[in-house]
Amino acid sequence: MTVDLTAPAASADPYAVFRSLRDTDPVHWSEAHRAWLITRYDDVSDAFRNKAFSNDRVRPVLARRKEPSAASDVLGLLAGWMVVTDPPEHTRLRRLAAGAFKGQRIAVMGEQITAIVDRLLSAFLEGDGAQDLISEVAYPLPAIVIATMLGAPPADRDRFREWSDELALVAFGTGGAARADRHQRALRGLREMDAYFHTLVDHRRRALGDDMLSALMARDGDDLLSDDELVAMCALLLFAGHETTTNSIANATLALLRHPDQLDRLRADPDLIGPAVEELLRFDGPIKVLNRWVVAETEVRGKRISPGERVHLVLASANRDPMRFDDPDTLDLGRNPNPHIAFGKGIHACIGAQLARMETRIAVSRIVSRMPGLALAEEPVWKDVLASRAMDRLVVRHS
Amino acid sequence: MRIAVDNSLCEAHGQCGVVDYDLFPLDDDGFSAVGPSREVPAGEEATAELGVASCPARALRVLP
Repeated sequence: MTVDLTAPAASADPYAVFRSLRDTDPVHWSEAHRAWLITRYDDVSDAFRNKAFSNDRVRPVLARRKEPSAASDVLGLLAGWMVVTDPPEHTRLRRLAAGAFKGQRIAVMGEQITAIVDRLLSAFLEGDGAQDLISEVAYPLPAIVIATMLGAPPADRDRFREWSDELALVAFGTGGAARADRHQRALRGLREMDAYFHTLVDHRRRALGDDMLSALMARDGDDLLSDDELVAMCALLLFAGHETTTNSIANATLALLRHPDQLDRLRADPDLIGPAVEELLRFDGPIKVLNRWVVAETEVRGKRISPGERVHLVLASANRDPMRFDDPDTLDLGRNPNPHIAFGKGIHACIGAQLARMETRIAVSRIVSRMPGLALAEEPVWKDVLASRAMDRLVVRHS
Repeated sequence: MRIAVDNSLCEAHGQCGVVDYDLFPLDDDGFSAVGPSREVPAGEEATAELGVASCPARALRVLP
């Protein structure tokens, strides 16, 4: 048996596949993915601190390229991201970035985010009939938030969306020659992004503000992020903070529509939004799988895992493990405690978790309160992708 | 205000460190290094409470 998580049936209902893997082969070698699928909560948790599993997975690819190419520049930018580094490089980058993501800094964004959500929702409410909540609300929101946080002028916000798409295309790679042209265009777009962020960094160096980019320029002792590192950090913020947040909001809304009792519960008790969002992230979060590169011989649940292999840590399965969660397939907005790992765990735990939580809480709160007649208008289709749990569209009616 | 971690409960979720890396330091494996009693600087009480509340394993607490 080999499991392919990108098969349409597995994308439509990955949780059935995960249940069977957890029960019968919790550390599964998938020939289709050429990787190990780790599906139990305890094993995924341990894997986050197993030094045999490395995040340094872009640099080796870059090093194997013999000739410089258009892709090399952009890959070079990606290779500097802290998500693809191990300590000690990771520790340094994470420390330097941490100040910009502090809870206090994020908390003051609340009003601004609410205003952005309300503007998007007001436009949505003007529309009639079946409309896509993803393209109109869940997708634009995080890009606008990131552009605002970086202090970019409002007129430039649409470009952030385009760059985000291009980053995803390049970072996740492409499938075959048919998409080579799109790939080339994406690379051109990203060189523009690189230049744009360099200009933004340059301006901010001369006149610090109270935006996140200025906060990223703060020193840690006598160390600080270089211009190139700041540009890489801006790109990472956009890449890591956009689609994930879109999917958190969309998946949460769908889960509520599918569980009317829980939707009623949230409407009756809006203060439940904090634990509700944690439960929605556990139940159907934005990320199915995180990758690690194996750099040393190790063993997981009796299976020997060797250097050069890859492991897929299946967060979405761990979050439904009955050995950790009672009635894991039940959506219970009041679940407490709720030690889900939708944001990962350990030293690489999502640095933007507080921002993502706040955006999702505000968006979900406002969606359910401003649209009392919210209803699904068409059966959603899940994208056949490995890493994320993502719908193409979420078509709903609001009245 | 003082905060504490119960190391037997900490599971290295890292969510406190996301709230404030300085108030909630982590060790090399991502476990809390807050210790049995850590002073919260004046003015950072609200952040400390946010960090304590962010722990999904309920390993952190504000000391009485």
